[in-house]
Amino acid sequence: MTTYRVTSDLVYGRALGDTVTDADLDGCNIDALIAGEHLAPISVTIKKQADKEAGQ
Amino acid sequence: MGVFVLNNALVTINAVDLSTRATSVTINYEREAVESTAFGSGGRTFVAGLENNSCDVELQQDLATSMVEATIFPIVGTSVTLIFRNDAGAVAPTNPTYTITGAYLATHTPLNAGVGEMGTTSLSFQGGTLVKTTA
Repeated sequence: MTTYRVTSDLVYGRALGDTVTDADLDGCNIDALIAGEHLAPISVTIKKQADKEAGQ
Repeated sequence: MGVFVLNNALVTINAVDLSTRATSVTINYEREAVESTAFGSGGRTFVAGLENNSCDVELQQDLATSMVEATIFPIVGTSVTLIFRNDAGAVAPTNPTYTITGAYLATHTPLNAGVGEMGTTSLSFQGGTLVKTTA
């Protein structure tokens, strides 16, 4: 599941800065919403398990 | 609400509220008539077939960030969800929401104005399924 941040104040039922998921956007053209600068994907950094074990 | 003058309609296209740039909306809700006439029938009879909806929207063209052109141009040739209400206020039995899922945008006129005229775009959506909700 991908998460997006709302980057315009025109997304119906959402406020600027809200977080939405694919499921929230069922039936929508998400690529177009990103192209139109209404949404921006939220990148998630996943630390490797080895880093955790090393206490980093 | 009985009769009404449309002056505060809700118009959302692909989840984007473009009400402040919309000037006209027409929803055509159609169920195809499939003939069911058989021998012995006194006249032709029909049953409901597939929905064959279409929707026309007129917008003032706006080239600003995240406005009309930025929202509409990327969805030409794709199917999106449309949401309309007579009034942008709360949904109610007298202010139903019409949601068309899977509406295909066939036509967009990004440049459409004569000299001295407001730039507009005419959108024609085809297909999809229509649901009316009152709560």
